[in-house]
Amino acid sequence: MSNLTQEQIKVLEQSRQRLVQLTRSLGSLIASLNQSDPLPPWTSLQSQASIISNNLISVSDQLSDQRDLLSNLVAYPGPEYPGRTQANTLEQLLRTKLDPRVEDWVARGRAAGTEPATGPSSNFSDPDAVHKPLSDAQLTQLWEWAPLEANQEARRRNWGGNFTLEEREAGIENVVTGLRRQLEDDDGEEEEEEEEEEESEGEEGDGEGMDVVGVHRKPGAAEFEFNIAPHHPHPVQPFVPLDLILRHMTTGRMP
Amino acid sequence: MHEQSLFASVPVHQHHELLQQLAGLTAMQPRHCLERRLIFKAYRKPGMAGRTGASQDLQQGDLQRLNKMLNGNMYYTQVVGPVSESDFGSTAPVDQDTQMAGMDDSKPYGSSSSPSYDYERQPWKLEFRDIPEAGTRSAVTSRLMSSATLPRGDVVQAMNAWGYNFVTEYVVEGDMFIHNDIAIFLHRVLHYPGGDELSLPRRQLPALKDMTLFEKSGSYVLQAFIIVQDGSNQETMKTASQHLFGLREQLKSAVLLEQADRLSLDTRAK
Repeated sequence: MSNLTQEQIKVLEQSRQRLVQLTRSLGSLIASLNQSDPLPPWTSLQSQASIISNNLISVSDQLSDQRDLLSNLVAYPGPEYPGRTQANTLEQLLRTKLDPRVEDWVARGRAAGTEPATGPSSNFSDPDAVHKPLSDAQLTQLWEWAPLEANQEARRRNWGGNFTLEEREAGIENVVTGLRRQLEDDDGEEEEEEEEEEESEGEEGDGEGMDVVGVHRKPGAAEFEFNIAPHHPHPVQPFVPLDLILRHMTTGRMP
Repeated sequence: MHEQSLFASVPVHQHHELLQQLAGLTAMQPRHCLERRLIFKAYRKPGMAGRTGASQDLQQGDLQRLNKMLNGNMYYTQVVGPVSESDFGSTAPVDQDTQMAGMDDSKPYGSSSSPSYDYERQPWKLEFRDIPEAGTRSAVTSRLMSSATLPRGDVVQAMNAWGYNFVTEYVVEGDMFIHNDIAIFLHRVLHYPGGDELSLPRRQLPALKDMTLFEKSGSYVLQAFIIVQDGSNQETMKTASQHLFGLREQLKSAVLLEQADRLSLDTRAK
């Protein structure tokens, strides 16, 4: 097989196209993660990820479909190749072994693909388990565990603000949200609730920071940002409700 | 005239910050206000005033109809007198003729130049407010209001003649801001020391520091209001309430301005 047929060249060309697409979409994801401040919205990240995943699938299909051809092909430099000036590229092209880093990746991928599922007894906090796919039993276990746990976590919080108690205590100026707009601290009603809660929960301080971006926030920033510190050192709630004050002011009647 | 307003309760620890925020929002320094407010209660239907002599004719249909027309309800009404800090704890003036001559009623701090407080020279304003309109579509407190300047000095006699009894009095202390067409009044009620046993307005004011807080924690009431001259004009009424909503949005992260409970502002005397 000295010369490639037209069809074989076409196959190579297709593989190249797909690889180019894959590197492009990877590059654009990296660029958007590196450069855009604030971070792009999660919907765009997700769509980029699914594009990459599709690209990967098509590359993988292409490579496995044309496995016979590709594994039989041998590259060698033609006589007209500028070997002196492009020695580096030439070396890269003529490599028969993988780059050591790439070798590692491949080994890890192989291991991940062939690793038999570990028993359902393994816990999720095992650092090694993170890199292994979950078995069906583990997935089921995770799905059984997660809603309860998430619910419990949610119940411990007073929802409605943009910041958690821990973040407030540490000072909300220090929170890196990655958002361009200012998150408003709170509105008045919630602030009062927060204050009440501060007294009851202030000491617990369980130090679990929550993801600000993913949590609850209201669309549309307020025009005016007031840096109200809802955690006043000495919050004093009024004893007399507003309507009784107004009634007294109207009729002079004592509540 | 119609007054449209929104209210909020401001805990005392938030007061200082809110003052600064309001000063920033309105681009003005707070205007400190002290007001004596005398509460009067109608004891006689206003339509009957001056007609008591004709009580034998009460059964006549015409008069009954007229009465019905004139007297929907009897109301509490307020007489408001601006005072200054120096009026508190000061003594009666020695020479009454040398001061206050030609002072206009519209200058609430007219007496501040003198360290003494002269009840006979106290300017008063009668302020009537109806019970807030029921079932308004917009979520603001809207009520009919009217005010009139009264003669200086003792108003009780005149008020009695109009069918009003003195009920009680208190002092309102607060700060006023103006934001476009909205007046913002952050205030609280002070009581005179030693209870309300007096049946007449005080002629002397105790020292300001002796005044006691009505709301013991010292919380304030925030009232944002717009007075609409022509309450029958739906367009202006709508604009006013929209402006109030705009302010509510702006202050949202600081205080929650709300419509007041209608019955808490019920001025009808039962």
